[in-house]
Amino acid sequence: MAEPNEASRRKILVKLGRDEFLDCFQCLKCTSGCTALKLLELKPHEIMKLVRLGFVNELAASEIIWTCATCLKCVQRCPQKGSPYHVIMALRNLAVEREAKVPEAYLKAVSQILENGLSQTIQKITTRKMETFDRTSLKLPKISAPKESFQAVFFKALEEKQE
Amino acid sequence: MKMAVFWGCRILTSQYAYEMSVRQVFPKLGVELVDLREATCCGDPVKSINIFAADYLAARALALANLTGSTDLLIPCNRCHFTISEAKHRMEINEKLHLKIGELLTEEGLEYDPNIKIWHIIDLLHDAVGLEKIKETVKKPFRGLKLASHTGCQVIRYSDLGRVDDAENPRKLDELINMLGAETVDYSEKLDCCGAALTYSHQDAALSLAGSKIKALQGLNVDALVVCCPACQMMFDSEQKDAGTAVGAKLDLPVLYYTQLLGLALDIEAEKLGLHLNQSLVDKLLTKIPA
Ligand code: SF4
Ligand code: SF4
Repeated sequence: MAEPNEASRRKILVKLGRDEFLDCFQCLKCTSGCTALKLLELKPHEIMKLVRLGFVNELAASEIIWTCATCLKCVQRCPQKGSPYHVIMALRNLAVEREAKVPEAYLKAVSQILENGLSQTIQKITTRKMETFDRTSLKLPKISAPKESFQAVFFKALEEKQE
Repeated sequence: MKMAVFWGCRILTSQYAYEMSVRQVFPKLGVELVDLREATCCGDPVKSINIFAADYLAARALALANLTGSTDLLIPCNRCHFTISEAKHRMEINEKLHLKIGELLTEEGLEYDPNIKIWHIIDLLHDAVGLEKIKETVKKPFRGLKLASHTGCQVIRYSDLGRVDDAENPRKLDELINMLGAETVDYSEKLDCCGAALTYSHQDAALSLAGSKIKALQGLNVDALVVCCPACQMMFDSEQKDAGTAVGAKLDLPVLYYTQLLGLALDIEAEKLGLHLNQSLVDKLLTKIPA
């Protein structure tokens, strides 16, 4: 059963670095311009309402928080500086801490960074004329990978729970 | 003007045309570029996992820029530009965060000096190099070309952070295009997002977003779409075929980086600007440009 949870609600506030949620008056400015509204039914004003009421555990376990396209229109347009985008990111972080289902690609990006510093693997490009190029054949400088000490520090940063 | 450059992941690992064209055009406009050593991800995808770890990565990029001795840092990717600008802001208003990140950086022998200015190609060209200088440097102005601009989301939002152009009515990219002699169009989908961030979780929705925008532009008979971010270029150019499938339309709109377009106007060879790497039919555009 869904029920409000004060401790989880506080957790989101801490992640946002705020004492209290800003007054959202449900004007729907965020939702009406939301990039993910039509295709994925994301309604940021509803997220704001549920978080304020304390239904944080439910949201952290829900797939809806992974539909945000990070276009930042809601942050820009909210008359109350309510920042639904930031609330969604905080909820994602909580979902990770709770070991909820997280889209694979994000976890892959993190392990990729641990491995060689970059979130993506180096690709060869096949052109419209079916020729293949890489950084070397394009005469682009070699990428210098970070030293091993980076891995240890980044790992430490990831262990941080922001509480 | 000496400028450190943070390329981020996407440019260094697949969007080579952006890197090639940036490296070609800026020295011709009096901007000397200095690469960072051992740069890592800006933290963008990490924000969804752990915002603190993402801020650490962003601060690391700034600390590496400090090492070059330059107090200016060019970040050509919209997403890296936002991630690093926001992390810098958070450290400015939160001393505890600043100290905690400072400690982590020390473990790698790095130190972050906040006295650094972040640039994107849009404000660097428009506000620092200047429209007049660009106009003077152009060797082969375009005549009769009708182009559309897509500035993207994260480099113009949110305004409180200090972004490179107006959040609701960005004009700078259009003005930069106009300086090369081409016309630009206003279109109602101009602020629509490319969808790149959704490739992490909802590939189909991401492709639909990109496809709908291109489809709308094709209806306006523009000669090309001009972008200034590797994530937008990935969606509109590299993924254009799949984006077409997603929206059930045949898409064949040339899409290119502003720096590629500028390079052509500066009479730099197409291949040096990486135009052979664009996946969209840029040949259609190139034939309209007198050799
Ligand atoms: S978050 Fe802001 S824009 Fe959205 S409904 Fe609340 S007050 Fe309005
Ligand atoms: S940042 Fe996310 S929630 Fe906000 S308008 Fe864009 S897609 Fe919607």
